[in-house]
Amino acid sequence: MAVDKKFIGKKYPPVEYEVCKEKVKEYATAVGDLNPLYIDEQKAQQSRYKGLIAPPMFAVVYTKDAIAQVMFDRELALNLPMLVHGEQEYEFVGVVRPGDVIETEAYVADIYEKGDKDFVVAGGISKKKSDGSIVTRGKWTFVIRR
Amino acid sequence: MAITAKIGDVFTLQKEVDKYRPIFYAGASGDFNPIHIDAEFGKMVGLGGAILQGLCTMAFVMQTVSEWSHDPYKVKKLKVRFAKPVLPEDTITITGRVASIDNNTAHCELIAKKQTGDEVINNAFAEVDLG
Repeated sequence: MAVDKKFIGKKYPPVEYEVCKEKVKEYATAVGDLNPLYIDEQKAQQSRYKGLIAPPMFAVVYTKDAIAQVMFDRELALNLPMLVHGEQEYEFVGVVRPGDVIETEAYVADIYEKGDKDFVVAGGISKKKSDGSIVTRGKWTFVIRR
Repeated sequence: MAITAKIGDVFTLQKEVDKYRPIFYAGASGDFNPIHIDAEFGKMVGLGGAILQGLCTMAFVMQTVSEWSHDPYKVKKLKVRFAKPVLPEDTITITGRVASIDNNTAHCELIAKKQTGDEVINNAFAEVDLG
């Protein structure tokens, strides 16, 4: 059963996430990327960033709940046990720091079939709540075997 | 700090995936899908055990590029294709190569392989600002 293309363009409510330095440290430790800019306040202070920053891929954390809305959308009704994460893309537009509140809006970017598989591409645009500036644009490609 | 790069430059990073990495990553990222934290469930669905979150492997790829660029936010874009699952106790080698340079942006091709030579991430690309 193919996923209905009529859902291309569907938008979901924005989801807010407040970046905190302890969560950033936990993420950096989990992926084993201990760049001092992420975890060492003093060294980060002396850098061109003048303070701690989040790893760019921390986007995974602040976009997760927004994208989960697409995955678990009852209208789309994706067959989750048959779903794998095929591709991922992020554009890093702005620097994210502890203290930033990030708002992510998810949407269905594309739906297509190839062979016996369905492809659903979810998009997510994340902005700083304080000034509305874009920090990341992401694309999640889910592959669903039939 | 500007980066000096020329076409053909190669950079690599090796990452060891210890037994509990998927659990640490689950806690840090919130991705508690049972295929990542429950080895029995992973076996049941034909994955051979609990597999590492693909986005964790993508973070390894990001680290490879950002260590080369000396500045994480010089990386303007990263795209990866998840080719095969990574399992605990795998060793992942990530290799990047500068494929082209235009407008002060390096376009890098990346690949991640495990100790068996199997590609776990391929068709991966990064754009790095050289300014």
